[in-house]
Amino acid sequence: MVDALYSKPRIAAPPAPARNRLWRLLGWALALAFLVYLPNVLAHRAAFGVRLTNTELLNLGLTQINLMLIAMLGALSLNYLTGCAGLISIGHAAFYATGAMTAAIVGTQWGWPFPLALAAAAVTGALAGVVAGLPSLRVRGLYFVLSTLAVHHVIVFVFLEYQFRFFDVVGVPFEAPLLGSYELNTPTRWYFFLLPLVAVVYWALRNSLNTREGRAMRAMRDHELAAAAAGVNVRILRLKAFAFSSAIASMAGALLAYFMSNVTSEAFGLDFAIQFIAMIIIGGLGSLGGSLVGAAIWLLLPSILSGLAPQGGDASGWMGALLVDHKPQLVQAIFGLLIILLLIFAPGGVAGLGQKLKALFSSRGAR
Amino acid sequence: MLAQVLFSGLALGSIYGLVALGFTVVFKATEVFNFAQGMLAVCGAYFAVTAISVFHWPFGVAIVFMAVAAAVLGVLIHILLIQPLAGRSMLAVIMVTIALSIVLRAVIEILYGPQGRSLVTPLPSGVITLGGLRISELHLTAALVSWACMALFAAFFRFTSVGLLMRATADGHEAAVASGVNVNAMNRLAWAIGSLLAAIGGLFLGQLQIVSTDLESIGLLALPAVVIGGLQSIPGAIVGGLLVGLIEQLSASYISPKSTDIVIYALLLLILLVRPWGLFGQRELGRV
Repeated sequence: MVDALYSKPRIAAPPAPARNRLWRLLGWALALAFLVYLPNVLAHRAAFGVRLTNTELLNLGLTQINLMLIAMLGALSLNYLTGCAGLISIGHAAFYATGAMTAAIVGTQWGWPFPLALAAAAVTGALAGVVAGLPSLRVRGLYFVLSTLAVHHVIVFVFLEYQFRFFDVVGVPFEAPLLGSYELNTPTRWYFFLLPLVAVVYWALRNSLNTREGRAMRAMRDHELAAAAAGVNVRILRLKAFAFSSAIASMAGALLAYFMSNVTSEAFGLDFAIQFIAMIIIGGLGSLGGSLVGAAIWLLLPSILSGLAPQGGDASGWMGALLVDHKPQLVQAIFGLLIILLLIFAPGGVAGLGQKLKALFSSRGAR
Repeated sequence: MLAQVLFSGLALGSIYGLVALGFTVVFKATEVFNFAQGMLAVCGAYFAVTAISVFHWPFGVAIVFMAVAAAVLGVLIHILLIQPLAGRSMLAVIMVTIALSIVLRAVIEILYGPQGRSLVTPLPSGVITLGGLRISELHLTAALVSWACMALFAAFFRFTSVGLLMRATADGHEAAVASGVNVNAMNRLAWAIGSLLAAIGGLFLGQLQIVSTDLESIGLLALPAVVIGGLQSIPGAIVGGLLVGLIEQLSASYISPKSTDIVIYALLLLILLVRPWGLFGQRELGRV
């Protein structure tokens, strides 16, 4: 009995390190190879010389992948704020708008180079984040959520006024950005600019969570009074989290503006903010990896669904008619139901499901 | 000019007050901050459209149908979405109401198409001229009906035994359970009332404009209204609704039509910073 207990430890013993590291390296190498090869497949619609149909490629294009990468920045920053610091914001679209507006002023109007415009967007985003976080010094919980809603309306109004003062209904134009002599004018070039950027932001956020302040932040999320009693300056930390998160969101907004090459104030409505909350709920609150998955599902599922539309049409059922006539509504309904089901049955989102699955397998293995 | 603006502001504000009252009833009972309240108003308008334009029922029957359907919708929302999330984080509950409004909007647009529909009812729609003041009969009816509904529900909460049980439940779930109140039934009733009040508001909003899912943004003005008035306060919801209606009309005619949202939300931000518990709410005390 005792022997059995000791010979099969409940806690997974550290496995043979060298072999494990090799497997992990191999996994990373494979993932990297896939990510580098992906734009080639999507651009030429062929893999290793074999032509692929639209359906086999899930109806995806490189533009969607790029939009997904930009959305990942927003989802990461919101999950950092909401999932890790415990501050709910429904005003995240406002920081995108801040970034787009900053890029419009310094990039389109003053003609600053693209990297400087991005940096400026990050700085103004951080400032706007501190201002938007100020109510957190006085109110919390539900009231704070509402203050972010109010801030959203204020910032989007400022963007609207700015747009009509200097441009017109058509929106604010942006030139194709230059990185030195490398012009970001094709989807593939954008992809190879955005992919490392997302990786760097992910890595930075992940590491920052393991610093002293990152741990203090999570303590603040779990129990504010306890964290304050342990010597955490909760107020300053909240503002810092807000500034960091909104700087990233604002940079993503500037990137989105340059990527779309034209932006109007309507783009940053409440729906835009809600989609980020949806992404982190689908992916899993507090899980940075989950936010990537959530953003991928949110951005790619619509085109995957429309890829299924022609087949549904051949089946000539009411489902097919529904897919053809009401695609956007159907996508919205599916997303809404997905969120409701996840909230009720899997509060941890995709990340939580993954962990459950892992626990299931590892407990099997140990038994 | 000013009197004209004040009148339409008060009339619209009465409708907002009605929708906000429904919101507050739900919030007091179940502590759910219902972002779907605007969409519930839209659902009410579409229930009326279904009964009148699709089934061609007489107006009285249509109103009864709308009321019953709205109440059933409210009860279903509580059973299917709110009860399973009992005890969960605020974000989960807020997000489930947002997801609900996304689903409802999608379903409505699939069934009725995204373009608006006009709602034809036998309600008076002429204009009375009183001195220099042009009073739209529809605005007047809306205001009067809203006030009648508010008075009716105030009397219901104040004088009936069920109303007493509902107030007891809102005051404290544990105490109510200990006294033998069926808390779940009370909460369902609160959701039914909240949805019904939103539906009546939606009926009038749909008549004053055109019935479409875009009415949601107007119904959502109930949110700033309740916070300005004080989240826990029923008179606060009504006064907040009137204030929002007045501010909307005043800023639309004296500043610019685009500025209405910003003025309302700037006031909301100010209230949150200066007096977070609202004009009529009670200050919440933090406990360790």
